Amino acid sequence: MNNPSGEPSKITQGPDGSIVMDVSSSDYEDDFRLVALAQKGDMRAYDELVTRHRGKIFAMIRNMIHQEADAWDISQDVFIKAWHALPRFEAKARFSTWLYRIAHNAVYDWTRKRKIESVGELNDEIFERERIDSASLTTPSGGEMPDQSMVQGELRNKIQAALNKLSPEHREVVVLKDVQGLSYKEIAEAMSSTLGTVMSRLYYARQKLQTLLKDEYHSR
Amino acid sequence: MNTTPDEANLALWLDDELEGAELAALEAWALSQPDHLAAREETRCWRLLIAGAIPHSEEPPFPDFFNSRIAQGIRDQMPTPVVHEKKAAFWKSWLMPMAACAGMVFAFWIGTMSETQSLAGRTAEIEIPVIPKAIPVQIVYTPESGVNAELFASDATSPMVIVLSGIAAIPDAMDFSATTYIPREREFDSTAGNGPLPTEETH
Repeated sequence: MNNPSGEPSKITQGPDGSIVMDVSSSDYEDDFRLVALAQKGDMRAYDELVTRHRGKIFAMIRNMIHQEADAWDISQDVFIKAWHALPRFEAKARFSTWLYRIAHNAVYDWTRKRKIESVGELNDEIFERERIDSASLTTPSGGEMPDQSMVQGELRNKIQAALNKLSPEHREVVVLKDVQGLSYKEIAEAMSSTLGTVMSRLYYARQKLQTLLKDEYHSR
Repeated sequence: MNTTPDEANLALWLDDELEGAELAALEAWALSQPDHLAAREETRCWRLLIAGAIPHSEEPPFPDFFNSRIAQGIRDQMPTPVVHEKKAAFWKSWLMPMAACAGMVFAFWIGTMSETQSLAGRTAEIEIPVIPKAIPVQIVYTPESGVNAELFASDATSPMVIVLSGIAAIPDAMDFSATTYIPREREFDSTAGNGPLPTEETH
């Protein structure tokens, strides 16, 4: 399963029809090994951790705030904060879940700050993909046919427009569950909430999204 | 399993998060619950739809720059190492001033010793000639030979008398005015003043 841009989704359908997160145990082990090194001050190990998780964190934040330039900055803040908080990280949870929690706080801080300031429009042009040199090493790769990409792009825009109409709490729970593929327990940890609250929010958020995307949803 | 499962387990089952015995029990219950089976299928479709449209991972623009900015941010926020000065030990509080004083005394002593030695060495090497004490001698100069002069004075504050012997007597006809300077009336260039013009006297 490919997305219009970015890495193939790790959410896959099992032989029994169940939807599962395709995460190998070696990913966790590598994370823990790198975290242990980073906790000792190894910047290279931390750089490797950033490289492994920047895509997920950036995507999560971007889906939350829908502003690429700000998502870029906030993602960096998340990793800088994570570095400073690394000595306090205990391997009770996955490193990515812990990062989602920091990202959650960073997004809410940004939202609060944005509400207070409420001035000026940010210029996202510098990060528009059309403006990136196609020869650049950092050009995002896309392995899809143009027509498929266009259809998926349209769908994505519609879903994101619908997501925008949700409250931040409902939007985040959908992003973490249905896009990022976190479990209820991990979402509760990331959002500093209870399992029941997460379940309730997800139920209502899905209901509203399905209503907003009724045409798209029923045509498939 | 005949009883309805609790809502938490049902939500976990709908999202394929149940495992083991709990999953088996709920699956057995769901066989007679077509509505719940349909709901689960609908949830699965929904998740596939969302996951297919929105990427769960998306490389940020300029990822290398992204990483380097993080590294720079971490370096910038690194606390500068603060050098904590150790509290001076108790013995330092009194030993250091004493040591400083002792050092000064020692330096002074060394200085005095070296001065004495150098003076002693110098006097041994250089013979200083003994200069006789100057005795004041009063001499009266007389231009004529055969004239003797004697000075008489009881002390420094008393008038001094000079007695010349051997000098010829001064004749009475001697005109002393020739030997003395008599100033004449000054000539005035200025006509200012009320008095009459000075006239030259004739003697």
